[in-house]
Amino acid sequence: MRKDKLVGPKAPRRSLGQLVSRDWQLMLIFLPVFLYYIVFSYLPMVGILMAFEDFKMGSGFAGLFTSKWVGLKWFNQFFSSVFAWRLIRNTFLLSFFSLLFGFPIPIIFAIAITQLRSQKFAKVAQVITYLPYFISTVVVVGMMTNFLSPSNGIINQMIVKLGGKPINFMSDPSWFRKLYVISGSWQSFGFNSIIFVAAIMGIDPSLYEAMEVDGASRWHRIVHLILPSISETIILLLIMTLGNLLNVGFEKVYLMYSPAVYETGDVIATYVYRQGIENHKYGYASAVGLFYSAVGFAFVISSNRLARKVTGSSLW
Amino acid sequence: MKKTRILSLVIALVMLLGVASACAESLNLAQLPLTTEEGATISILAINSYYSNVDLKDATLLKEIADRAGVTIEWTLIDPSSYADSVSPMLASGKDLPDIIMMPDKDLNMDYLSSGLVEPLDEHLDIMPNYSAFLEKNPIIKGSLTAVDGHIYYVPQTVVTNNYQPVLMYNTLWLEKLGIEAPTTLDAFVDYLRKIKETDLNGNGEADEIPMSIQSAFLPYMFAPAFGLDLVSGYYADDNGVVHYAPYEKEAYKAYLTFLNGLYNEGLLEQEFASLNRDQIVARCANDQTGVTFDYSWQMSTLYSAQYDSYKADSSKGVIVGAAPLSGENAGFYVGRNPISNIFGINAKSANKELAIKFLDYAMSEEAQDLYVWGMEGLTYEVDAEGARHFLPRCTEDTIWYQGLGINAPNMPSQQSVPATDVLLAAWHVQNDRDFEEPYIRAPFPEVYSTEEEAEISGMYQVDIQTYVDENAIAFITGTKNLEADFDAYIATLENMQIGEMLKVRQAQYDRFAAATK
Repeated sequence: MRKDKLVGPKAPRRSLGQLVSRDWQLMLIFLPVFLYYIVFSYLPMVGILMAFEDFKMGSGFAGLFTSKWVGLKWFNQFFSSVFAWRLIRNTFLLSFFSLLFGFPIPIIFAIAITQLRSQKFAKVAQVITYLPYFISTVVVVGMMTNFLSPSNGIINQMIVKLGGKPINFMSDPSWFRKLYVISGSWQSFGFNSIIFVAAIMGIDPSLYEAMEVDGASRWHRIVHLILPSISETIILLLIMTLGNLLNVGFEKVYLMYSPAVYETGDVIATYVYRQGIENHKYGYASAVGLFYSAVGFAFVISSNRLARKVTGSSLW
Repeated sequence: MKKTRILSLVIALVMLLGVASACAESLNLAQLPLTTEEGATISILAINSYYSNVDLKDATLLKEIADRAGVTIEWTLIDPSSYADSVSPMLASGKDLPDIIMMPDKDLNMDYLSSGLVEPLDEHLDIMPNYSAFLEKNPIIKGSLTAVDGHIYYVPQTVVTNNYQPVLMYNTLWLEKLGIEAPTTLDAFVDYLRKIKETDLNGNGEADEIPMSIQSAFLPYMFAPAFGLDLVSGYYADDNGVVHYAPYEKEAYKAYLTFLNGLYNEGLLEQEFASLNRDQIVARCANDQTGVTFDYSWQMSTLYSAQYDSYKADSSKGVIVGAAPLSGENAGFYVGRNPISNIFGINAKSANKELAIKFLDYAMSEEAQDLYVWGMEGLTYEVDAEGARHFLPRCTEDTIWYQGLGINAPNMPSQQSVPATDVLLAAWHVQNDRDFEEPYIRAPFPEVYSTEEEAEISGMYQVDIQTYVDENAIAFITGTKNLEADFDAYIATLENMQIGEMLKVRQAQYDRFAAATK
C-alpha cells in the first residue's frame, strides 16, 4: 500500500456480478493478459516441487506428485559445490557492472544530444545509436567473434600494426565481463536514451530563457536545470532496473562463453541449463534455479521499498 | 595394457566374423511383410543426416525397407547437433512419444530405462529373430547392452572400433620438400613444426604457413598417449587393471600440459586453437597453408587430400596422409572406439508395440544392413560378370544425392563394418589404415551401465569435475594459470571434488566389465 494514498469518499460496495456487468469490456481486454500470466507464469510454478524431489525422467507432470521427496538435498549439494560461490559472484558482478556502466551512459548521451545546436545532426546521431538495439544477440556475438579474432580480427590487426601482441579476447577470462558490458551498452544506450530525451524535452522552455537572462553557462544549465528536472525519471528507472539486477541475459552469456572463460563467464542461468537440459538432473537444476529466483525476488522487494522511501512512489 | 589389447582383438574378430557372414548372403529371418494390416504406420524419432543440406525424410532406401516391411514410417527427424537438447525434455515429460526412439545418449546412468520409458526387449526376443541372431554373434555387445537388472532394453547402432579412427596426418608435399620422414617422436615432431614455420613451403613468398591445424578436441588423441595417458577416455585402466583418471595423473598430465604450453608459447599451437573448426582447416588445405592435422581417418582422402589440385580421385597416393602415432617416454597409440554409437528403444507406452518391435528387428536384419551399405542394384551399384559389386560413379560424384538415399542410415540401427567402409575409400587410404592405424589402436575405457548408487555418485560429481578439468586444461595451456604455481591447487581441488569417489565407481564398473568378458 502506498503511504501517500489519497483517501477519497468510500466507494459503494458492489457485488461481483454488478462489477462484471458494468466493466465487462475492460475485463475482456484484460483477459488475455490474465490468462498469459496464469498459463506461463503461475501454473509452471508447480515445477518448483522438483527442487525438493528426486524427479525421474519420463514421469511427466504426474511425476511431480509421485517422485521421492528428498528435502534440501539438492540445495546442500549446490552449496557444497566448488562452483557455487563462483556462479553467484559471476552472476552478481556481471549484472552489477552492466548497471554501473550501462545506466549512466544513456543519460549523458541524452543530455549531450539535446544540447546540440544542429538539430539535423542530433537526429542522425540518435537514429544511428538506436539501430544496434534491433540487432539480434546472435549477430552481435558473431560480430564480436569476428572483429576480435586474434588472427584476422580487425581489432587485433590494429593492435599488431601498432606494435602490440594480439589478444585472444574471446577466450581470456579477464576480458569476458568487459566485452559483455561494453557490447551490451553499445547495443542499448541509444534506445535507452529515448526516455531521457523525452524528459528533457518536457522541461518548460521559459526556464531556459530565464537562465540565459541570468547569464548561466551551459554547464550551469545542465547541473541546475536539466539534472534536477529529470532526477525523478532517473531514480524511477534506476529502481526498476535494480529489480531486474540479477536477470543477466542467458542467451548472450551462452553464446559468448566457452570452457576457457567459465572462470568469469559461467553464471547461474547457464549452469542450470547445463545441469538440467544437458545432463537431465532436473531436481538439482530446479533447486539452483529456485535459489536464483529467491534472490531475484528479494531484490525486487527491496528495491520497491527503497523506491517508496526515496521517491514516495513505487510499483505497488 | 595386455588385457585391453586382447580384448580389442576379440572385438575386432567378432565384428569381422559378423561381417564375413553378412557378405556371404543377405538374409532376413523374419517373415515379410511384418503385418497384413492396411496402412499400418510406425512413428520414429531419430537424428537427421549429418549433412546439413540432406533431409532423410523421403530417403529412397529407408522407404524401400518400410515397403518391404509393409508399413509406413512417420519420421520425426532432428538435426544431430541439437538432438540431445531437443529430445531429453521430450523424454522427461514422457508424453506423446513415438513408437521407436533413438535415445539422446547411451543411457549409461539408466535414467530412461529405470523410469519405465522403454520396453525391455529381451522379453520379446521370440518375435525378434534377426536381433537374437545378432546378439548371439556379438557377445561383447550383448554384454554391454545388458543392464544391471539383467534386461536388454536397446537395439544398437554400431561403428568400426579399430579402424578409421582419429589419426595423425601429414602434408606429404611438405615432408618431401623438407626431405624428412614423417616424425614419430615428440622431439622430431616439434623440430618439424619449427622447420615449417621458418620455410616458405607453399612458395608464395609470404610467411603464412601454419605448422599444425588441430581442433582442440583432438589434442588429447594426438599428444596424451606419448605421456602414457588415455585422455580421450579420461578414466582408463592400466596393465594391472587399476583405473586412473588421466587429468588427475599428477606427473604425466602435468608433463602433457607443460608440453602443450610450450607449443603455445612458441606459436606452434595457434592462439585460436580452442575455437578452430574443420571448415577452417579445409580452407587451409585448399590454400596449401598447413603441415599437420589430426582428424577422423575418413576425412584424409575424401576431404583434406581432395582440396589439393594435384590430387585426383584415382590417385595412387594421398596428399594429407596418415602416419604412426607420436611417441615420447611412452610408446604412442591411437585410441579406438566403443562399438555402440547409438541406441534405439521401444516406447513402453506405445499402442503399436508389437509392430514397432518387429520393425526394429527387421531394420537390424542383414538384408537391411546390405541396403544401408550398398543401396540397391541399378541405383547405387552394379554387379559385374564375376558377381562382384561396384558402386556407380554417381555415388562419389553427387554426395548430396547419395547421402539423401539414406546410405549408412544414421537414423537406423545400421552396423558399420570394415569391409563395407573399405569399398568406399581409395586403395591407398585402406592400406594406410592397415599400416599406420590398426596396429596402434588401443581399446578405450569400456562403457558399462551404472548401478543406481553409482549413477547417483557420478551424477553428483562427474559433471562438475569435467567442467573443472576442461577449463583448467585451457587455462594451463594458454598460461592463464601457471603450471608451477597452480597445478598443486588444481589437484587439490579435484580431490575436493571427490575424484576419489569417482575412481572407486569406475573401478567397480571396470571390474564388472572385465569379469563379464573374461
